[in-house]
Amino acid sequence: MLVLRRRAGESFLIGDEIEVELLAVTAQGAKIGIRAPRETIVLRKELKITQEQNAHAANAASLEDLEQTIKKLRP
Amino acid sequence: MLSVETKYFGTLLCAEGSVFDFPQGLPAFEEEKTFVLIEAPEGAPLVFLQSLARASLCFVALPILVVDQNYRLAVAPEDLENLGLDTERQPELGSEVTVLALVSLHGELSPTANLMAPVVLHVKSRRGMQAIRRDSRYSHAYPVEAQPAPKDPASSNGQKAWSPEPKC
Repeated sequence: MLVLRRRAGESFLIGDEIEVELLAVTAQGAKIGIRAPRETIVLRKELKITQEQNAHAANAASLEDLEQTIKKLRP
Repeated sequence: MLSVETKYFGTLLCAEGSVFDFPQGLPAFEEEKTFVLIEAPEGAPLVFLQSLARASLCFVALPILVVDQNYRLAVAPEDLENLGLDTERQPELGSEVTVLALVSLHGELSPTANLMAPVVLHVKSRRGMQAIRRDSRYSHAYPVEAQPAPKDPASSNGQKAWSPEPKC
């Protein structure tokens, strides 16, 4: 992983069109601004993971699968 | 009462109190704005989050304390605000909010529960959301092992497991 050191107000570029600026750093975390073309999707990684988990969870389960799972979960 | 077409239980009559608005839907299911919480004795300890608009969409879930009895909530202030909860403190599990972990099934492997993104249901406002944690304290795929099920005579006497009397 490339690691950069930036202070508040400084930025860096990803490719020609995406600029990431470190706006502020506080004890609660860093505030980051992103300038990118409208079609670029910017997602918190946890959200992406949750979307994938939900899609998988929603696919789950015929009644038989559920019965198996319930049996597994009961002592 | 509300007539709800469900994925696993046919058509059920549900009390208004078990219907929750999800103003933002769920991640990957943003268009689903209303879910019904269904508890079926035969399905315990699992509970079910059934989409009102789409009968084929029903999440399988576990009360979060069943997965981890020491689970600590950390709902972000903006999420508390969306739910109509006090933003100055974490809500009380059980009395103020019902908190569920969505469950994924993996065939022969243990099912996993998403502890990173619990579904938080505000009992009073009947609003719900999947409140993704900002920290990395809990896994999105926590393997769930056998749990002591609540006392349920039907589960122990070899009766067919799926003639449920679901409550919702």
